[in-house]
Amino acid sequence: MKPVRRSMILLMLAGTSHTAFAQDTLDIIVPFAAGGATDIVARSFEPPFSDNLGVTSVVRNVAGASATEGTAEVANSEGNPNIIGYEPAGALSIQPSLKDLPYGPDSFTYICRTTSNPMFLMVSQSSDIENFDQLVAASQEEPLLYGSSGPGTLPQLAVAALVGESDLEASHIPYSGSGPAMNALAGDEIQIMADTETILANYDLRPLAVFADHRIEGYEDVPTIGELGLPEMEFAVWQGLVAPKGISQERKTQYSDACKATLESDRFKSFAEKAKAGIAYLGPEDFEAFVKQRYDANKQVLRDVGLIE
Amino acid sequence: MDIILAAVGDAFAWQALLAIVVGTWAGIIIGGLPGLGSVVGLTVFLPFTFGMSTITSMALLIGVYCGSVYGGSITAILINTPGTPQSAATTFDGYPMTQEGRVDEALGWATFASFFGGVLSCVILIFCAPQLAKFAVNFGSIEVFALICLAMMCIVGVSKGSVMKGLVCGMIGFFLSMVGSDPITGADRFTFGSYALSSGLTLIPVVVGAFALSEVFVRFSSRDDPGAKIPEAKLRLPRLGEWFKRLIELVRGSLIGSFIGALPGTGAAAAAFISYASAQKLSPRRDRLGQGEPDGIIASESSNNAVTGSSFIPTLALGIPGDVVTAMMMGAMVIHGITPGVRLMVDQAQTVYSLFVVLIIVNVAMLILSKPSIGLFRYLFRLHQGYVMAAIVIFSFIGAATVRGNPLDLVVAALTGILAYALRRADYPLAPLVIGMVLGPELESSLRRGLLIKRGDFLEFFTHSGISMTLFSLLALFIIWTVWSGIAQRRQSSANAPRAESDATK
Repeated sequence: MKPVRRSMILLMLAGTSHTAFAQDTLDIIVPFAAGGATDIVARSFEPPFSDNLGVTSVVRNVAGASATEGTAEVANSEGNPNIIGYEPAGALSIQPSLKDLPYGPDSFTYICRTTSNPMFLMVSQSSDIENFDQLVAASQEEPLLYGSSGPGTLPQLAVAALVGESDLEASHIPYSGSGPAMNALAGDEIQIMADTETILANYDLRPLAVFADHRIEGYEDVPTIGELGLPEMEFAVWQGLVAPKGISQERKTQYSDACKATLESDRFKSFAEKAKAGIAYLGPEDFEAFVKQRYDANKQVLRDVGLIE
Repeated sequence: MDIILAAVGDAFAWQALLAIVVGTWAGIIIGGLPGLGSVVGLTVFLPFTFGMSTITSMALLIGVYCGSVYGGSITAILINTPGTPQSAATTFDGYPMTQEGRVDEALGWATFASFFGGVLSCVILIFCAPQLAKFAVNFGSIEVFALICLAMMCIVGVSKGSVMKGLVCGMIGFFLSMVGSDPITGADRFTFGSYALSSGLTLIPVVVGAFALSEVFVRFSSRDDPGAKIPEAKLRLPRLGEWFKRLIELVRGSLIGSFIGALPGTGAAAAAFISYASAQKLSPRRDRLGQGEPDGIIASESSNNAVTGSSFIPTLALGIPGDVVTAMMMGAMVIHGITPGVRLMVDQAQTVYSLFVVLIIVNVAMLILSKPSIGLFRYLFRLHQGYVMAAIVIFSFIGAATVRGNPLDLVVAALTGILAYALRRADYPLAPLVIGMVLGPELESSLRRGLLIKRGDFLEFFTHSGISMTLFSLLALFIIWTVWSGIAQRRQSSANAPRAESDATK
């Protein structure tokens, strides 16, 4: 019996030391697998962020279920001041409307928005379509197909909203990611795709319009959706930091100050330039209002296209 | 020319060479441990590369990647447990050879086929990347559907004894792959209202359960049987004459792997199964396949290692990652300021050329390091079998848990292990289960995308394009051939049976 008892005591000791140290390490949850586009940004964000906070951080990838798995883990850690999530737009503003999730837009303490990139409507460079009117005309002759990186993702929502508001005739084909969708676009299986500048530049595509309220630097000749005589539409791929509910106001301020300082650091700025991530800081209150506004807007689109009741 | 010389210089810098040796060796060991595969290996090494130069970090990651794909075959051959899903097809012939006492030969063929596949795909990558990428783009959903159907045929070949049992296992695997989100609508299915199940079942926990854990159970139940001991790992590379005799097999496997690797979204495990299926039809020694025939190992290992080189084709030519592993490599490139995409070949020619050189050095390093790595496994497996099995269980669970950090995966691994043990006891082949699981998601989503494109008319699949017509005709031929040879065999055996009986009565 003695060895068992001893090992139990050892285990308890190990347990207590763990909780003691946990004060000084921060868990940064990335709800995607290591090496993905969001993960890369999060891992570049982490070192200056940790320096600013004065803690050691561990980036932990909890992937699955359209990024809701890791997001749920953050939401479920209520009151834990040592866990935050580096979250993509979809998991916060689309998935809660689509699925029965253990969290909703009210389940978090919002820290800051880090980056935001507007989405472009684009076609293959080899197509003859030069502008939005030609696209509509072509789709009237024969309905077109648009791709996305999966069901209920921003690329689907953006084009679906556009189809709902204009004379564009197009139906949706979901792929398992941006890569396969780009392959399909190159092989003319689909004709339309909405995504960010990164995709646009990497794959040498032709932008027809931008889902923003103003023209984008570097793409001055690309009109906004509003300029095409349609209602204004804003779709952007953004990321931000959230913490669980129930953390102290002091901790929240620490986080958001560190976030702001990180986004202003040269180290992160030079990375963002390389990775074409548009830094777009929003403070806690603004970010919370922004997420809730996006949540409602996306929910309306989902309802319009019939993905939810 | 200057640029090529500069690139070679970059690749032969001591930092890069050191990274290659460390990466490849670590890759072989990680790949050899059941449960820990290419993705886990790359995840472990990715953070180290942040501080390195571009070429050094790519060298490290490519080494880990290629090494792990090869390493999986070592445990597949030694203990019937593929170290990675990519090597699942290596068990079909590798383990029977081990049971016959031909370990050294089996490992030799696996090593040589891996090397051959890796190098041939590098050559293809260097000389035909743009052309192959252009051709691969023609593989839309419908063509991929036809290709996956062809690969599914290999279930028939690997279910020795009873095709029915094989199909049952294939369907179980297929069904397991359907749990989670619907790929087209995003709705949850087969989750029984449980949130934990809504992220679906991933491949690694299932493979770990089906092969590693069930093998541990089988060995546990026969622990007093002296024949169940792990044999001593030895390596004997095939001689020039031997491999020349099987040159066609090596080339076919490598070409299939190179082509599958160039298609985004398929990957090395699917390539190995497709290559094995074609060996079942085309190898001159196909009658012995599945009973310990080197051609089976060659088919599997040459094709899965050929994927390592050619998966860079869509990455380099189109900026599209071919699989999870190349997606991670692309991530590493972005960190170092290289933007993968259509202009990469033009803007970063020197980096791309050094990447080619690195790939070739990695394959050579793999060949050289195979001996010490197998020596290490020999040393490890000399321990008491109980310790080895305990370690396999531990690594299996570590592997299952690290894939995506979901505790559910531990339960999945354990349950699959128990299910697989029951199936093995009832003589059900397990390989079809993994084939169903590997190919199922792509089969389903390509079919459903095809139906969306054709507005629900399945008959139009057959006339969609020249490629799809060819593939579907091949599929028809395949089925007719299988049925025909089945009937012929039955006739022959029923013709022989009475004769044997009359012989016996004499």
